[in-house]
Amino acid sequence: MNKDLSKVRNIGISAHIDSGKTTLTERILFYTKRIHAIHEVRGKDGVGAKMDSMELEKERGITIQSAATYCNWKGNDINIIDTPGHVDFTVEVERALRVLDGAVLVLCSVGGVQSQSITVNRQMTRYNVPRLAFINKCDRTGANPAKVTQQLRDKLDLNAHMMQMPIGLENDLAGMVDLVTMKAIYFDGEAGDIIREEEIPAALLEEATEKREALLEEISMFSDELMEALLEGGDIDNGLVYDAVRKGTLALEFTPVFMGSAYKNKGVQLLLDAVNQYLPCPTDVTNMALDLSNDEKEFEVSNNPDDPLIMLAFKLEDGRYGQLTYIRTYQGRLAKGDTVYNSRTGKKVKIGRLCRMHSNEMEEIESCGSGDIVALFGIDCASGDTFTSEGISCSMTSMHVPAPVISLAVIPADNKAQVNMSKALNRFTKEDPTFKTFVDHETGETIISGMGELHLEVYIERMKREYNALVEVGAPQVAYRETISQRADFNYTHKKQTGGSGQFGRVAGYLEPIEEGDYEFVDNIVGGVIPREFISSCDKGFQKSLEKGSLCGSPITGVRCVINDGAYHAVDSSDVAFQLAAIGAFKEGYLKAKPIIMEPIMKVAVEGPSEFQGAIMGSINQRRGMIIGSTEEGSYSVIEAEVPLSEMFGYSTTLRSLTQGKAEFTMEFATFKAVPKGVSEELVKAYQDERKKG
Amino acid sequence: MENDMVVNNPLRALGLDEKAGDGAQPTMGLVMARAGLGKTAILVQFALDCMLLGNKVLHVSIGEGIDKTRTWYDDILALLTAGERMDDIPGAMQNRMIMTFKESSFSKALLEERLDDLVQQNIYRPECLIIDGYDFEKNTKESLEEFRNFMHERGLKMIWFSAVSHRGDDRKSVDGVPAPCHEVDSLFETVLLISPEEDAMKLNIVKCDTCSIDPGSTLMLDPSTMLIRKG
Repeated sequence: MNKDLSKVRNIGISAHIDSGKTTLTERILFYTKRIHAIHEVRGKDGVGAKMDSMELEKERGITIQSAATYCNWKGNDINIIDTPGHVDFTVEVERALRVLDGAVLVLCSVGGVQSQSITVNRQMTRYNVPRLAFINKCDRTGANPAKVTQQLRDKLDLNAHMMQMPIGLENDLAGMVDLVTMKAIYFDGEAGDIIREEEIPAALLEEATEKREALLEEISMFSDELMEALLEGGDIDNGLVYDAVRKGTLALEFTPVFMGSAYKNKGVQLLLDAVNQYLPCPTDVTNMALDLSNDEKEFEVSNNPDDPLIMLAFKLEDGRYGQLTYIRTYQGRLAKGDTVYNSRTGKKVKIGRLCRMHSNEMEEIESCGSGDIVALFGIDCASGDTFTSEGISCSMTSMHVPAPVISLAVIPADNKAQVNMSKALNRFTKEDPTFKTFVDHETGETIISGMGELHLEVYIERMKREYNALVEVGAPQVAYRETISQRADFNYTHKKQTGGSGQFGRVAGYLEPIEEGDYEFVDNIVGGVIPREFISSCDKGFQKSLEKGSLCGSPITGVRCVINDGAYHAVDSSDVAFQLAAIGAFKEGYLKAKPIIMEPIMKVAVEGPSEFQGAIMGSINQRRGMIIGSTEEGSYSVIEAEVPLSEMFGYSTTLRSLTQGKAEFTMEFATFKAVPKGVSEELVKAYQDERKKG
Repeated sequence: MENDMVVNNPLRALGLDEKAGDGAQPTMGLVMARAGLGKTAILVQFALDCMLLGNKVLHVSIGEGIDKTRTWYDDILALLTAGERMDDIPGAMQNRMIMTFKESSFSKALLEERLDDLVQQNIYRPECLIIDGYDFEKNTKESLEEFRNFMHERGLKMIWFSAVSHRGDDRKSVDGVPAPCHEVDSLFETVLLISPEEDAMKLNIVKCDTCSIDPGSTLMLDPSTMLIRKG
C-alpha cells in the first residue's frame, strides 16, 4: 500500500472507438513492466490485448467492459480504468469517470475529434475530470496532430496546447521534440523501450522555439512566477513550466497535448511522465459525500487514511474468481478481515479477500488506503453502493444512470438455455444498472432493455458465449410508457358470488398525474371503511395495474392513486378481493384520466461537412425531430436535435447515403415525451391487432 | 406565467410588442453596451417575448456555442418565472432555433443559405431574428443594408443585433448612437444602450422611431438579473 497519496494517480483512458486506446493501455502495461510481451488487439498471435479480457472484446477488437488495472511508473502508483468507446456503453465511461481523478483523452491523429470524443469530453466536464490529450496513430497516412489540437480547441472548447512536436509524421515518424526541455526524444529498441535524448534537429529548431514561446505565454496565466520570469527574460526554469501546466490542468483551464504512436511504440513513456507530472493525485480533487444522518447534506471527504472508511462500489463483475466488486476508497483504510457497512442496506459485510486487478488476473493484497482502486471478493451489493466504517452514515453522490430506451424479447431455445439465461440475466443486471430485464406476464416472454441496439446485442452474445444460453431474439422495440394527463375519479365494487366463499370489496378515490416519480399511493381512508389489513391489498392491485397499460401494453408511470372511500364485507372481503377491486378501480379511472403514450426522445448530434447541413436537417425533420440548433465551424457543422428513438432505427444507413459516408451521429437519452396523435393511434391499433391474434 | 413575462419584458415596456404582431412594418433594432454588460440578456428577453407571442425565433450566435446560448434562455426564463426551463413550457422549444457560427466564418450569404435550407424544406420559418456577436467594426454599412433587404424579402418581423461599444471611443452619431455603430444608425429603427449606474443598470433609449417611449428616456434594469425593474 502506498501511503503517500501524492504518488497515486487514478486515471481513465477514454476515446472514440478505434482510436487505439486499448493498444495504448497495452503499451503502458508493457513499459511499466506489468506485462512482458506485447499482444495486439487484432494480433496474429491470437492472444489479444491484455485489457480486452472478454472473448467478445477480443473478437471485435473493441473494449466493452472497463477493466481496472494497476501499474507503477517512476515511483507513482497508477490505477487505470480502460473505458469503452461506443456510445451505447457510456454508462461504463460515466461510472469510470465518477471514481477517477484524471483522464487521458485519446484521439486519432487522422480522424481527430469525432462525435464520440465530444460525448466523452462532455462527460469528463460533467464530472470535473482534469484531462490530458494523447494524439495517437501519428504513424498513419494523413496524420496531423496540429489539426487535431486545433479541433480540440474549436470543437471541444478546450484550451489545448501541444507540449510536444512530432519529428516526422506518417511513415517517417521518428520521435518528438519536448517543448519544455527542448530536447529531441527518440524511442529505440524493438519495443521502443530505450529512450534516446538528442539535440533538436536544426531543421525543426526554429519552429520548436516558436511553439515553446507560444506555450509559455499561454501557461504563464496560471503562474505569477512564470509570468515574472518571462518578463525578466533569460532562461526559464522547467520546474516553473511544469507547475504552471499542472495548475492549469487541475483547474480544467488547460489541456496539455501529447502525441505518438502506441502501435509503433513511440511517445507512450512521455505520456506516462505527463500523467505523473500533470494529472491530479486523490488529494488534489474534491469529492463530496451525502450525510444520510443530516438530510443528505453534502460534505467533503477527507482523503485521510486515518479517518473512518468511506468507499464506493462502482463496478461488479462475476468472473472466473467469483463475484468481484471494484471499489474506490475516498477516506480511511481497508484491510482483509475488516467489517464494513453498506449504507444502502445497512448490512454488515466482512471483507474476505482484497485484490488489485490486472485486467482478468489478480494480485492479492493485505490492505488498501484512501484514494486506492481495488477489487473485493464475495461482497453482496449493487453497483453504486457506499460502504463505510461503523458509526458513520453517508453515501457518495449518486451516479447518473439513464433510463433504458430500447427493449427486445429473448426466448430460450430449450430448458437448459432457460436456466443459463436466468443466471446470465441475474449477473448482467447486477453489473450494469442500465440493463434491465422482466417477464411479460401476458406473453410469458423475457424482455431485456438497455441503452441501444448494440448494448443489447452484446449481452445476447455474452449469454451465448459465457453461459451457453442459446436464445432467439425478437425485433427491437422502443420502450414506450403510458401515463395519464388529468385527474379522474373511480368508484368500483368487486363482487363475486358463484358458490363457495364470495369476494367483496369497494374502492373509491381518484387518479392524478405526478411529475416526479413513477407511482404514488395515498391512503385517505377514514373511519375504517376499508380495514387496515386491506389497504396494502389496494396498493398491490394498483401496482399490478401499472405493469401494462391498455393503450399499447406499455408500463404506466407518473400516476398517483388516492383512495378515500370504500366498503368491505365481514366474510367475503379478502386480500385478493381488494386487489381485484383496486385493479377494477384503476381500469375505470384510467380511461377517464385521458391516458397518453410517451416515447423516449434522444438527444442526437450529427456531425458532417457543412455542405450537407441542409440534407442532414431535412433527414432529422423527416424523422419527427426537433432541431435545437446548429454549430458551423468552417468546413464542418454539428446539428443538435431531439428525435424520437422509434424514428432512429436505420438512421446510420440513411445518413451515410445522404452524405457520402462523411457524416456521423451520436445519440443519448434525453427525456420521455407524449407521442403525436397519429402515432398514438397507430400504436394503439397495432397493440389491439396483436391482442386479437394472440 | 406568460403575462408576467410579457409585462416585465423590455420589448413590451418599449411599446415594441406590436412589432411582433402580424401586419406590422419590419424593424431592425440594436442593443449596445461595453463588453460584459448584458447585451445577450436583453436580446434573450426580446426573443422570449417574441416566442411567447407565438413567433418563431432564430437566434444566431456568433462566437458562442449552442449550450451557452441555451443556458441564457433557461437562466432568463427561470428568473422571469418560478424557475421554469424552456423544456417545461409546451410548444416553446418549437419556436426557437439556435445557429452558431465562428466569427471568421459568419456572413450574411451563409446565413441566407442556411435559412433557405430551413424554409424550403419546411423545417423552420423564422419570424424574428436575433444576431448576437455581429462584428460592426469589420463589416460595412452595405452588409447591414443587405440585412435590411433580407429582412423585407424573407418576411421577417424584426432583427435584433448586439454591438460592443468601447470606453475610449467617443465618436457618436447625431442621434447619440455611439461607435462603432455611429455611421450605420440610420439603418436601425431602435437603438438601446446599456450603461451601469450605481446599483442599477440603465437601458437608455438612444433612438426609437416606432417606440411608445421617447428617445432619451431610460428604463431601469436589475444589475443582478438584467430584468427590467418593476415600477
